[in-house]
Amino acid sequence: MPDEPTAAQEPAADLAIRTEHLTKIYGQRLIAVNDMNLQVPRGSVFGLLGPNGAGKTTTLRLLLGLQHPTAGRAEIFGRPCGPNAVAVRSQIGYLPTNPKLPEDLRPIEYLDLLGKLSRLPREVRQPRIASLLRAVGLLDATDQKIGTFSTGMCTRLGIAASLVGDPPLLIWDEPTAGLDPSARRFTLDLIRELGKTKTIVVATHILSDIDQVCDHLGVMHEGRMIFTGSMQDIQRRICRDDFTLELEGDPEKVGRLVRDAASLEGIEARTRDGQAVVVRVANGHSRARALADVLQLVDACGLSLHSVHSGQNATENAYLQLLQEDEAHGFHR
Amino acid sequence: MDSTVKTLPLGTKLMPFLAILQHDLRGLWASRLVRLWLAASALMTLMLSAANWPKFQDATLIASLLFPYLVFPWFFVVVVLGVSPVSGARAEVLADGILSRPVSRHEYLLAAWAARVLIVLGVYLIGTVPAIAVVTLARRPVPEDTVTLFGIISALGVVGLVLTFLVSLGFLAGTLLRKPLLAAVVLVFVWYPIGVVLNAFSLEEFSPISLSRAMTTQLRQPWRVADASSKGKVNAQDMEALTRQMDHFLSVFSNGQSRPVAAKPDFFESGGFRDFSLFRVVLGYGLSTLIAVVLSILFFHRRDF
Repeated sequence: MPDEPTAAQEPAADLAIRTEHLTKIYGQRLIAVNDMNLQVPRGSVFGLLGPNGAGKTTTLRLLLGLQHPTAGRAEIFGRPCGPNAVAVRSQIGYLPTNPKLPEDLRPIEYLDLLGKLSRLPREVRQPRIASLLRAVGLLDATDQKIGTFSTGMCTRLGIAASLVGDPPLLIWDEPTAGLDPSARRFTLDLIRELGKTKTIVVATHILSDIDQVCDHLGVMHEGRMIFTGSMQDIQRRICRDDFTLELEGDPEKVGRLVRDAASLEGIEARTRDGQAVVVRVANGHSRARALADVLQLVDACGLSLHSVHSGQNATENAYLQLLQEDEAHGFHR
Repeated sequence: MDSTVKTLPLGTKLMPFLAILQHDLRGLWASRLVRLWLAASALMTLMLSAANWPKFQDATLIASLLFPYLVFPWFFVVVVLGVSPVSGARAEVLADGILSRPVSRHEYLLAAWAARVLIVLGVYLIGTVPAIAVVTLARRPVPEDTVTLFGIISALGVVGLVLTFLVSLGFLAGTLLRKPLLAAVVLVFVWYPIGVVLNAFSLEEFSPISLSRAMTTQLRQPWRVADASSKGKVNAQDMEALTRQMDHFLSVFSNGQSRPVAAKPDFFESGGFRDFSLFRVVLGYGLSTLIAVVLSILFFHRRDF
């Protein structure tokens, strides 16, 4: 990482992706990727997170050899990336954002074409196509032309297309973009399943997707990688000392709970929206103990407890904190 | 290309090339442009044959059938077909889908180029060969002509080579300019005054109009003349003419004086086109085609998608 490395340096053999000072400048005007050093461990499900325009897609395209880096280099499984790096691309299954597929073909024809591009013999290609179409739930649509497919169906076919060559590395760019809830659930489940045997890079700006499926994370901002590490690393970055109790009952009883809780040592409590209590635990005090004490008070006050949670999504907080820090650093960046 | 690919058996190595070629051929064949072109060229061939059936001798009639491919109007269709696979947003997205697979850029480009060349030559041969066969075999109310099989094959070959060159030129323009409409417009402005440009460099015999006028002579050319020419005497004349043309070509750029040319019967005013050289035309268009394809590959290799 250009700034403060947060992940330990991995031995090269354990890395699926490694970039060194990777830089892409478009026409001397726009810096899309800025001096990026990235390491993606083999076997990880790596979330590439960043706001729109952060440079995620450009990074992926540099890895695929679809674009030339202005400076720096990128390697996949120890081999350099480039426009004619055929052996590198045979190791990658790529799913672009909202894949644009040839509308005049049917799914089997399209996957067969991709199988040939991967130099798969017919006896390997045909059974694999059948099983992939079954896996992505498109068996009923094999006689339709791709031009008639919905966004969700195109994404499913794109997923199957990325798996035709059975590559050890999957690079999926915004795989859940434009999908309805059930298609999104299907895609996330598939990532989880595939992550058991493959390295997966998922570029997205949807934090909940990252939270659900990734074990490693890289955060990009304005072309720079401002954080890489495990999910635990990023969640540790923000120290969460508070939790929120969602309650149901008489507001007076809620008020009593707040007063009683505030009288406990090392605990601050306040109401929120009348039916919720935010409890903050001071440094040096056990959160578990504080939670147990407060729950006893809830019971004692005769309130009904709906839920207990640690405020907002931890990853979201950490992500926003990283972006704010990066903005604030100014010249130190 | 990577060393792992180099060691694969030929069939496996060529699999992506053949897959893209097949896919592009299928797409082109299904396209409205090609279907309309095929129908229009068949109709034009029919009309030209019917109109000139009782008037022209075999060679003249066949040359008139080849004229639309060499000069007007099919030049524009050929250029558009050449430009389209490597330019335009939609083409780039589809190219993206292929180039993110284990395919090298030159494999993709050569397959796309080959598909365009095959479809153009296919339409051209479908549109002309049956008509030429009918014209030469039928008894028509015109004097006997001396059209030879070699003449027909070489004339068809020359026109095919010019069409291949046009596809390659379209390819180069599309690769460079990346906008199909702009590339097509540029090529129209480059190709139509090509006769004037070639005249400035004393290369008139390569212009489509000159080639078209030379077709009747070429169609009557017997094989043994061509055979003799390849064995020395005429070939030496070809080389001398080629050297003279190159000398003049360079002198235009250097603003110098070219060597004085010995007086001889004027090629274009004699009406016989006896010094039309198949060798020079094939060399000229063949090399130009090769250069256009190589330049396209070089520009395409540097392109960002």
